[in-house]
Amino acid sequence: MLFKNVNDVQTRMEQAGYIPSPEISTIVFLAQETQKPVLIEGPAGVGKTELAKSIAACLERQMIRLQCYEGLDESKALYEWAYAKQLLYTQMLKEKINDVISDTASLAQAVDEIARHEDAFFSDRFLQTRPLLSAITSKDPVVLLIDEVDKSDPEFEAFLLELLSDFQVTIPELGTIAAQSRPFVVLTSNNYRDMSDALKRRCIHLYIDYPAIETEKEIVRLKIPGIEERLLDKVVQTVARIRELDLKKKPCISETLDWARSLMILQQDEITEAVISRTLNTLCKHKTDYGVVRANIGQLIKA
Amino acid sequence: MVNLILKFVSCCRAADMRISTAEVIDCLGQLAFMDTCGEPLFQTILRANFAKSRREQGIFNRLYHLFFHEMQSGLNPESVFPEKTQAGQPPAPEPGMTELLRQFKERPDDAFFTKNQGDTLDRALMEFLGGSPLPFIAEVQKIHTQDEQASPLFRSNLGQLSSRLEIMLRINRLKTRMVQFLGAHDAWVNKDVRSVTAALNRRLDKALEFLNTDPRPDNAGLRETGSHTLHYKTLGQIPFSNLTPEEIKAVKEIIDKLVRKLEEISSRRFSAASRGMVDVKKTIQRSVKYLGVPLEIVHKARPLRKGKIVALCDVSGSVWSTARFMLNILYSLKTCFSRVKSHVFIERPFDVTSFFMSHDANEAIKRILNDTRINYNARTDYGMAFQQFRDHHFQELDKKTTLIIIGDARSNYFNPRESLLEAMRNRCRRLIWLNPEQEKFWGTGDSEMLKYRDHCNEARACGNLNQLMAFIETLVL
Repeated sequence: MLFKNVNDVQTRMEQAGYIPSPEISTIVFLAQETQKPVLIEGPAGVGKTELAKSIAACLERQMIRLQCYEGLDESKALYEWAYAKQLLYTQMLKEKINDVISDTASLAQAVDEIARHEDAFFSDRFLQTRPLLSAITSKDPVVLLIDEVDKSDPEFEAFLLELLSDFQVTIPELGTIAAQSRPFVVLTSNNYRDMSDALKRRCIHLYIDYPAIETEKEIVRLKIPGIEERLLDKVVQTVARIRELDLKKKPCISETLDWARSLMILQQDEITEAVISRTLNTLCKHKTDYGVVRANIGQLIKA
Repeated sequence: MVNLILKFVSCCRAADMRISTAEVIDCLGQLAFMDTCGEPLFQTILRANFAKSRREQGIFNRLYHLFFHEMQSGLNPESVFPEKTQAGQPPAPEPGMTELLRQFKERPDDAFFTKNQGDTLDRALMEFLGGSPLPFIAEVQKIHTQDEQASPLFRSNLGQLSSRLEIMLRINRLKTRMVQFLGAHDAWVNKDVRSVTAALNRRLDKALEFLNTDPRPDNAGLRETGSHTLHYKTLGQIPFSNLTPEEIKAVKEIIDKLVRKLEEISSRRFSAASRGMVDVKKTIQRSVKYLGVPLEIVHKARPLRKGKIVALCDVSGSVWSTARFMLNILYSLKTCFSRVKSHVFIERPFDVTSFFMSHDANEAIKRILNDTRINYNARTDYGMAFQQFRDHHFQELDKKTTLIIIGDARSNYFNPRESLLEAMRNRCRRLIWLNPEQEKFWGTGDSEMLKYRDHCNEARACGNLNQLMAFIETLVL
């Protein structure tokens, strides 16, 4: 069921376990109404992918995900012919093919006869659909998540332009395939490189930053219902201070949740230097980051 | 409403934001979707359509505040924010402001406005006073992008400063004229006129503030890593500029080892990734061996997807010690990239790629140092080097190129021209700045590093072996 208004987005997303800011709710509603893709920027771990999942859950749609990386091309993102299957079929149907061309008088006639049947080998049966084609050929509308689009090559970005503006693709052997239903498209970017103006023009832009302390508390409360208020306050404050340090990877929301859970399992209700040291591996994922946090541990406790 | 949005868009474009007509249409369409449009919602919709990256949001917010909160004339607040009547709403225009401005402009005794009609700048300031900031924003933008004279005899950083000073003087002159105008027309000096004059003075102060605050993009995606693995405890920590000849030899050996290791890893990775689509032609050819049965499926080898590198190295003083190691590594690893081009500069860039093409890296570095065409006694001027690079080598940058700048960003107080760095960033895939100085010295004295950092995709200190190894591993792997 579609969102009725911005407040409806807010309420239903919260029910689905995602706490959106008013800005996020507005953009999601506008994207639905205008059928435009949303380009989400923000540091890793602030809930960009999670937002797409929540939208899919709220709209009761299937989510199709395309993970981008350097070297991603159409054969991995859109479609590929099952060449091996086609070759095996030609071998198995050799006799039948011989029958088809047995009555022909010349080579040219034989080729024409084969050409009349080539649809049999370039049909849906031999087409391996990849996420983008699956999303636009799906009868029911889906949520299409194109994750980390900044990691893809400029060629792939250019290819996306056609898809995102017309929601159709052209397969030479089959013709143009238009979307049966327009997917709700979410693109995410970690700012590894700047996206082209052409791509940005086709999208509504949304920037998600690390949540404010109160929002992060709400998220932890929602995900870990039994957490004590005093511990919650200390956990969130400490993580916020750790994020200010010069780290290779700043702790994201899921790491805050992991840390809070670990502290609860270990039955710690105070955050001391020793506690941080022992549980640091739930927050930091780089050896050098351990060193930086340990060097500033006093500050984290004192502040 | 449409006119208002269009005026705002014109201001954004004057400040070098790229907003297309399609985006304006989208924005107006989205505003129409909303039943009620409070200011936060209005601002969200405008920002989502006009500022399409975090970098642009800071500039957008600044212009939004100026246009919708400071320039209240010509803006009917009720039409934009219908349900808002309290704080945060743009103040209503001062009554009589337009009339006072008209009289001020048409003073018969003011030769300045009657004879020449003022020049572009005066007209821009008068329009700013009248509530239309567009021409003034365009004038300020000109300052940010104006070129310095590339004279070989005399160079100065005064181009931008003098333009800025000129506007400041005009603003002050306008203020003085306003006072004179009121003095000469005693009848006007009543309570209403004083409040209008105060409002006009506030606007002139805003114009000054706008002029003197440089727009700084929010560089949210900046990779800035101060911490790194300590590969070598002693040798790895010594700044390149302090290495003894024996230590240099040891560092070179370590770099050679690193290069071999990286080449091996990278070639393994590419060979694994090169399995592409099925090569039908070759598969059919091979099937002949098996009586026509395609038992052996052959895949097309995908061309290696490797980046192009353009290095721009400051070769003055202590920076050269880092630049030489960096160039050495880059050319030793040239098989890992599809193209490596390098330029050295002190005041202007000089293409040294050919040295590395015809000699091994160490020999090439020796020859560069002895090349008489490079004036090693000149004073470093980053702004001029960037300007010359833009004029002569910009075509080398494309969306597959990683531009690596190696320099301490100490520009001898010459104009830093950071807008040129932004232009380079927009042309290439990634812009990485390696600074041989540690972070705590960035921005001190004549260092322009904090300004340049706002325009880089990655900025890191790279003054010793450990830092160089950490960087080169992330670049290749």
